[in-house]
Amino acid sequence: MFSTGSKYFFGITLFGALSFAVYMLLIDESAIGATALLGAVAATALLTTLVLSTRDGEAGEAGVAATEDTPTSSMWPLITAAGFVILLAGTITTTAVFLLGVVVLLASLFEWTVLGWSERASSDKAYNASLRKRLLHPIEFPVISAVGLGVIIVAFSRITLAISKDAGAIAFIVIGLAVLGAGVLFSLRPNLKRGIVIGISTVGALGIVSAGIAGAGAGVRDELAEARSEGHYTHQDCGAEKSKYFDKLPLEVVSSTASVIATVEIVNGKLTARAQGIPGDQESITIPRSNPSSVMFVNKDQEEHRLVANLGTKVISGDVKEDVVLCTQMIADGAEQVLILNIPKPSMAGKPYTLTVPGLAGQSIEVIVP
Amino acid sequence: MRRMLTVGVGLSTSLVLAGCATNAPQDTFQPKGPNAQMIDDLQKPVFAVAGIIGVIVTVAVLYAIYKFRDRGQPIPEQTHGKPALEITLTIIPALILTVVGVFTFRTVFDLAKTSDTEMIINVTGQQWWWEYDYPVQNEYGITQPIITSGQLVIPVGTKVMLRQTSRDVIHSYWIPALNGKRDAVPGRVHLNRIEADEPGIYAGQCTEFCGLSHANMRMEAVALSKADFAKWVAGQLKPYTPPAENTLAKEGEAVFVNQCARCHQVNGMKRADGTAIIAAPDESVVSGAAPNLSHLMSRNTFAGAMFDLLNTSCRKDVWDADSESFGAKYLQGVSEDCLNQSDLRGWLRNAPEMKPMYVNPELLSSTGGKYRGMPYLGLTESDIEKLVAYLLTLK
Ligand code: HEC
Ligand SMILES: [Cu+2]
Repeated sequence: MFSTGSKYFFGITLFGALSFAVYMLLIDESAIGATALLGAVAATALLTTLVLSTRDGEAGEAGVAATEDTPTSSMWPLITAAGFVILLAGTITTTAVFLLGVVVLLASLFEWTVLGWSERASSDKAYNASLRKRLLHPIEFPVISAVGLGVIIVAFSRITLAISKDAGAIAFIVIGLAVLGAGVLFSLRPNLKRGIVIGISTVGALGIVSAGIAGAGAGVRDELAEARSEGHYTHQDCGAEKSKYFDKLPLEVVSSTASVIATVEIVNGKLTARAQGIPGDQESITIPRSNPSSVMFVNKDQEEHRLVANLGTKVISGDVKEDVVLCTQMIADGAEQVLILNIPKPSMAGKPYTLTVPGLAGQSIEVIVP
Repeated sequence: MRRMLTVGVGLSTSLVLAGCATNAPQDTFQPKGPNAQMIDDLQKPVFAVAGIIGVIVTVAVLYAIYKFRDRGQPIPEQTHGKPALEITLTIIPALILTVVGVFTFRTVFDLAKTSDTEMIINVTGQQWWWEYDYPVQNEYGITQPIITSGQLVIPVGTKVMLRQTSRDVIHSYWIPALNGKRDAVPGRVHLNRIEADEPGIYAGQCTEFCGLSHANMRMEAVALSKADFAKWVAGQLKPYTPPAENTLAKEGEAVFVNQCARCHQVNGMKRADGTAIIAAPDESVVSGAAPNLSHLMSRNTFAGAMFDLLNTSCRKDVWDADSESFGAKYLQGVSEDCLNQSDLRGWLRNAPEMKPMYVNPELLSSTGGKYRGMPYLGLTESDIEKLVAYLLTLK
């Protein structure tokens, strides 16, 4: 009565129901989780019934007797054992290793089960093998290629971080061309020997992975290492410049590049401001109170400059007050940097808020906060 | 069968009739300014074209269903593989879409024009009300920034550019009679042109789901004649006058300083020692803002234009005024006789009961104890009495 497909779906349904029980009892009694798992169970149960009632859409299998043959040799017992060892190692090392063990164990048990079951499906070995493929390939291929791609990408990123920027660009082009070339070759010569195709692919993949390992070993290039040790990604105070590197986007807020409330420029020693949506140069910009607003600073002067926002004072304790200032870094001609202002007090709270550039005496842009 | 037919006809008739409502202030088919007019000029012909095509297709399908219903006849002649027919049937829709597309693009660009702006107003959305601030613009007598909420006051016949942004989540600004919708997105400034032809009040509401009280996040645009607008500006720039000593309002001011001034700014209010009282809504509200109440009684609505500050008869008087007398009536603001006492008192008594807001202290751990909205403050009835007297002085 149970056909090939229905056994499979029946298994999934059972597994789903068990997960549901485990989830509700041991993990979390959340409505969302319960709905998702119950939904899955309902869906697979429906599929089971469908498949059962249509007998897989084929009657052929029913008459085939189960085989008495010994099972074929398989690597899954070995991998299962390895997974178990990894899992045990994980309990005394890190969670990541433990999780890897769990994944390996589950995957191999699953593969092994399906293999064992498929070998008993009929007395026809070829048919059994095709059955296994039919069930597992749709899962295996995407998983294997995703993992493979991930490894290649990580390896490649290690290479580009280790070598200089220009060399990185060249490496990218060369490797990309090589992949393209291999692809063209394979498609133009469909009769190419299987061994050659596998050989080329393996050499290429191994090359990238080993270069990646070498890159990871060598560490990031000097410039990045220096920038990191200087902590310039967070560097925003107005003292002596700590780093000769700067980020165009100190806070890496996507919206700060997408839309700025105002742009402040130095052109030939003159400070000008333009506000988004208002025609013409402005002497003051109005920004909403308590709302992060991005101001873009563009240096179009030969000298290096930085923009300084003078945002009044704040009380530290009792009578002790401190000036609130915020700066961009010193940036060179043609460079730009965003300053994000979030001013919780209206302008009338004290002396006016201004944007100034040290070295440009007598010029400032007023920041009005209503 | 007959029953179903009756129900069906009844339902569709009432649907059609619902479209004929006379008091529908948010009707998209009644443009009251050039931008909305542009949209209307586009949408009506497109709607007509689409409607005609819709009717043709429906009739053709119904005809085919009836004509070729299964009576056991042989399958009729198939027209597959007739290039002339297929090409024609592709080209006709493509042409129609091209024509619609050309006009649509033209309208989109016209609506995005910024070069002819005459006045700037910054619009900031937050859960669940809109704040408007008018940057200094001397040509309109705005010599100090003006800040208000709920009702956007604009001069008629003036191309106003709204610079929209948000303090928390995405909102969307929509006054159907004046223009289409435009999202207000945190960290971005979006531009939205509006212009009204005639004095009057134009209703709208937030059209991007923004949480619990999204449905209660309304707004109104109030268009005043240029002269009346100048008077409104002068009124907004009037300095603070503290209530006279020994009045109920004076006692209300003290309650306000204790209970409300930590969130609500009243410009020009000072402590006994002469220092300015500056609100710090950023310390207790997620968005970092609460409405500025300096001239509360100059507006007709409160709490995201959800409630009227005017009682029913005074409100009717303002809304129904003709465009000649509207301005003067609006500029009167809210007097004691006209005040909608019950809603304002209800608000002070227990704001979250009047408008759903996230202000339950037990549920605020995810925002570090900060509210979204105005919390329950546990005021006594006598405090409320005093506060109302005080708020009435904020004109
Ligand atoms: C914790 C901060 C906070 C405190 C304290 C507070 N409010 Fe509010 N209030 C708000 C917020 C936020 C809103 C906007 C709510 C909305 O519209 O959704 C508001 C709205 C209002 C409004 C409507 C204003 C308008 O233009 O829409 C009035 C009036 C008001 N509050 C009065 C008071 C009074 C009087 C007190 C003191 C008894 C007070 N509030 C205390 C946060 C506060
Ligand atoms: Cu909203």
